[in-house]
Amino acid sequence: MLRGVLGKIFRLVGYTVQYGCIAHCAFEYVGGVVMCSGPSMEPTIQNSDIVFAENLSRHFYGIQRGDIVIAKSPSDPKSNICKRVIGLEGDKILSNSPSDFFKSHSYVPTGHVWLEGDNLQNSTDSRYYGPVPYGLIRGRIFFKIWPLSDFGFLRDSPNGHRFSDD
Amino acid sequence: MAHSQGWVKRYLKAFCKGFFVAVPVAVTFLDRVACVARVEGASMQPSLNPGGSQSSDVVLLNHWKVRNFEVQRGDIVSLVTIGHKNRYVKVPRGHIWVEGDHHGHSFDSNSFGPVSLGLLHAHATHILWPPERWQKLESVLPPERLPVQSEEECLLGSL
Repeated sequence: MLRGVLGKIFRLVGYTVQYGCIAHCAFEYVGGVVMCSGPSMEPTIQNSDIVFAENLSRHFYGIQRGDIVIAKSPSDPKSNICKRVIGLEGDKILSNSPSDFFKSHSYVPTGHVWLEGDNLQNSTDSRYYGPVPYGLIRGRIFFKIWPLSDFGFLRDSPNGHRFSDD
Repeated sequence: MAHSQGWVKRYLKAFCKGFFVAVPVAVTFLDRVACVARVEGASMQPSLNPGGSQSSDVVLLNHWKVRNFEVQRGDIVSLVTIGHKNRYVKVPRGHIWVEGDHHGHSFDSNSFGPVSLGLLHAHATHILWPPERWQKLESVLPPERLPVQSEEECLLGSL
């Protein structure tokens, strides 16, 4: 009786470990489903939207300007942030609001990216904590699954004027 | 005939089953628990690589200990970086390599590469303002940024 129970427990643990490892590899190297919370990416991504993220781009250095990425938060490594890539390393970034007389800009250092939310009024992003190291990026969001009324590929940035290279 | 075909089929089935168990488990272990790495360079002497190029230390990189991001002062850690693909750069003839003094906060040749001499605009020789900082600017090459090979051949690139 005990041997039967122990056998079942071991089999259960074995399957859990095996499928846990497959899940880790799938999310780490392929992609997965993510639920976003917060208002910082409105109107592109609303609170409680479910999106699909792919993790291949960051391994092949394929992240580009305009991509929406998930990254580890620079101030809290246990939480994730979801923002748009405004600048890659070496890009010139307008770092002051347009109302200032002397527009000041800075350059994104090597190995970093400049992230901003689409909802500029309500987003803590690189304007607050500075350029984000490329190594914190975990994946690229490219497809929305829920709500069904907004199903499909994600829109371009509504803040086109932030791309100072154009 | 039928017996050998059945043998091949059973072998393939066992192989796939083993593959899809072993590879994810091994990859997850190396990503989440621990892996080993060889230490290169002299930047951690005398703690690591005291023998220089004769013998490289091999260290255990323990992921499990930092799963909650708990580190203490004095710990030796390894970091994820996007490594520069070429640590050493050959500055071509007719070009110069420029760097700001404040590494990491400088948009310079580490970002855009060597600069053609034809783009040279001027040599900043003095500070004129404010008056308390009136001085001649000395030509100083930081010792850690000396060229790696002969002057006309090579310059140490990004760190």
